Amino acid sequence: MKRIPRMTAAALMLALLLSLAGCGSADGKTHLTFQIWDVAQRDGMQAMCDAYTAQHPDVEIEVQVTSWGEYWTKLEAAGESNTMPDIFWMHTDQILYYADFGILADLTDLYADEDPSYYQNHFSDISVGNASGTDGRVYGIPKDKDNVVLVYNMEMFDAAGVAYPDENWTWDDMMEASRKIYDATGKYGYMAYNDEQLGYWNFVYQNGGYILDPETNLHAGYTQSATADAIEYYVNIQKNDWCPNQNYFAETSPGTSFFSEMGCMFFEGSWNLLNELKNFPEMVGKWDIAPLPKCPNPASGDGYGTISNGLCYSTAAKGRNLEIVKDVLRFFGSEEGQRIQGESGAAIPAYLGQEESWSTVFNTFDYVIDVQVCYDQFDHAVQYINNASRRKWKSNAADEMVKVYAGSQDIQTGLANMQALADAYDTTN
Amino acid sequence: MNKNKLSAAARREENWGWIMVAPTIIGLAVLNLWPFVQTVYASFCEHLGFGHYRFAGLDNYVRMFQNAEFWKATWNTIFFCILTVPVGIILALFIAILLNAKVKFKGGFRTIFFLPLVCAPAAVAMVWRWIFNGEYGILNQVLGQEIQWITDPKTAVIAIAIVSVWSSVGYDAVLLLAGLQNIPKTLYEANSIDGAGKIRQFFTITLPMVSPTMFSVLIMRLMASMKVYDLIYMMADETNPALTDMQSLMYLFYRSSFVAGERGYGSAIVVWTVGLILLVTLIQFWGQKKWVTYDI
Repeated sequence: MKRIPRMTAAALMLALLLSLAGCGSADGKTHLTFQIWDVAQRDGMQAMCDAYTAQHPDVEIEVQVTSWGEYWTKLEAAGESNTMPDIFWMHTDQILYYADFGILADLTDLYADEDPSYYQNHFSDISVGNASGTDGRVYGIPKDKDNVVLVYNMEMFDAAGVAYPDENWTWDDMMEASRKIYDATGKYGYMAYNDEQLGYWNFVYQNGGYILDPETNLHAGYTQSATADAIEYYVNIQKNDWCPNQNYFAETSPGTSFFSEMGCMFFEGSWNLLNELKNFPEMVGKWDIAPLPKCPNPASGDGYGTISNGLCYSTAAKGRNLEIVKDVLRFFGSEEGQRIQGESGAAIPAYLGQEESWSTVFNTFDYVIDVQVCYDQFDHAVQYINNASRRKWKSNAADEMVKVYAGSQDIQTGLANMQALADAYDTTN
Repeated sequence: MNKNKLSAAARREENWGWIMVAPTIIGLAVLNLWPFVQTVYASFCEHLGFGHYRFAGLDNYVRMFQNAEFWKATWNTIFFCILTVPVGIILALFIAILLNAKVKFKGGFRTIFFLPLVCAPAAVAMVWRWIFNGEYGILNQVLGQEIQWITDPKTAVIAIAIVSVWSSVGYDAVLLLAGLQNIPKTLYEANSIDGAGKIRQFFTITLPMVSPTMFSVLIMRLMASMKVYDLIYMMADETNPALTDMQSLMYLFYRSSFVAGERGYGSAIVVWTVGLILLVTLIQFWGQKKWVTYDI
C-alpha cells in the first residue's frame, strides 16, 4: 500500500476536526431542551411547547425522553458538569437533593409581578410542598398530582357475585371480596406487593400512623404503634392463599398479573391508568377503578388516605438561557399550559380547577372508567413522604422489608431496624 | 538501543510513531487511568453530593470489611466465577472441536452458536426472566417443577450462571476454534502413524496446542465473570428476596454509588474488586508456566 504523504494525512486530520466546528446554530433562535422520562406523556409535553412557541416564534423547544432507569444518573452527571437540559421533570424523591445543593433555580418569585401568592392561590399545599426544597422555597413549577386508586376486574366480581367496590368499602370488605372471588374463580384477590407508594404507606396513613412525623418531617415513625400495626396487617395479607407471596411479585408485578387476568384487584397510581387502557385494548370494559378502601378502626383519623405525589418542572440555577426558560416555565404553570397538559391525557394538572381536563382523553374509550374517583380522592390525599436524609436510608430500609416478607426476619425486628436506619441519619441531616 | 546511534531518518520515524499512538495513549490516560486514580481517591472520601467529596480516611474500608452484605457479595462473585468459567470453557472447547470436525452445515452451526452474542443483553435478560419465571415459565413447565429460579437464594446464582454461559459460550468457542485451526495437521498424522487413538490425541496434541488460546479465553472469561453486573441488574428486581444472595460486587457497587448515592463507599468496593481481579490474574500468569505450552 502506498504511504500517504504526511502533509496529506495532516490535512485530512484537520478537515475532520473542522467538521466539529459546524455544531453551532445558525438560525438565530434559542434552542431549548426539555427532558422527561415518560414516553407516554411526550405528546402532551410537546403540545404545551408548541403552544408556547406559537406565541414566541424565536424559541424552539425539543422534548427528549430518557428512560426512567437512566434519567437520574444522567441528570446528576449533568448537574455536576453544569450541562443540564434547559427544562426537566423533577420528582419528589430527588428534589431535596438537587435543591439543597443549589442545582435548581429558585422559582419562588417567578410570578411575583402577577400575583405574589400565585402558588398558594392556584396549587394545593401538597403540590407546592412536593415542589419545594428543605428551606421552603419553591424549586419547581408544580406539574401534576396523582393519587393511588383501587383497580378491580368487574368480570371476576360478577362471576363470584360480589358487589363492586365503592366509597364505603373498608379493608375488611376487600379481604372478604378477595376470599369470595378466589373461592369462586380461582383468581387471586387483592394483590398486596412489597411497595411503599402503591402499598403499605397508604395503609399506614389510613390507620393514623406516619412514616415521617407530620410536624417536622424529620423523625421516622416505623415503631409507632399505629404505623407498626398497619404495616403488620399489610405484610400478613400475603399469608392468605388468595394473595401471592413476594417471590411471585418479584417476577410478575401486580399490574402484569391483573392485565393477564390472573388477579382481580390491585392498587395503581392514577398516572398509569391511561397507559393501561391503551396497552391492553382487549381488557377495556372489563375493569374500573374505585377509591382505596378505608381503615375500619383507625388508631386516629377518619380511616381515609391515599398517597399523592406530583412532579414539577425545574431548571438549572446556572443555566445559560435562564430568563427565557423562566418565561417558558411561567407558561407551563399558567392555567392554559396546565389545561393543555390535562387535555392531552398526560396527567392530572396540578392547577386547581383544571383537574377535570384530564377526563377528555378517557371519554374517547368505549368504556369510560370512573376518573371522578381520582379527583374526589384528593380530599384525603397525603403528601408523598420524603425528607433530605431519606435518600440515604431508603434502599436499606426497603431491604429490611424484603427480609420481613421473605420470613427471614420478624416484623417487629424489621421495623426496629428501619427505625434505627432512619434515626442514624436524623441528627446529621 | 542507544538513541544517539539512531540516524536522523530513524528518529523521525520514531517520532511519527509516537504521534500516531498519541491519541490512544491520551485517551487511555484521560478516560481510564485518571478516573481510576480519582476512584482510588474517592474511596478514601465521603461523597456529600454532586461531586463534592470530604476526606474520610479509612472509614469506607473499615465499614466495608465489617459489612456482612459485602462479604456475601464477594462470595457470590467467586461462586459465580466457579460456576461459569470451568463450565463455560469446557463447553466452548467441546463446541469448538465439534465445529472443527467434518460436519454438514458447519457455517450454519457456527452462526447459531455465535447468535447469543449479537443479541441485545436487555432482550436476552427479558426472555430468560420469563423462561425462569416460577409460576409461568417454560422451564418449570417442561421440568414439571415449581422451582423459584430467580427468587430462591439456592438457585438464583445458578440461574444467572446459566444465562451467562449461554450468552458467552459462542464467543469463546469461536476463539478456541481459531486456536484449533492453527494446530498443524501433520502432528495428528504423525501421532496416528505411531498408533494413538482419538482420545489420546486430544490430551497429548489438541489440549497442549490450544492451551495458549485457552489461556487468553480463561483470563478474559474470569475477568468478565468477576465484573458481572448487567445480567443481575436486568434479571433481579430491587424487591427480589434473593437479591443479597445473588448480587455481585459490581452490583453492590451500583447500589451503593447510584441508588444510595454513597460514591465513596462504592469506590472502596471497586478498589477491592480491582485488587481481587489483579490477584487472580497474577496467579494465572504465574500458573501459565505450568500448563501452557508455547513452544513447538
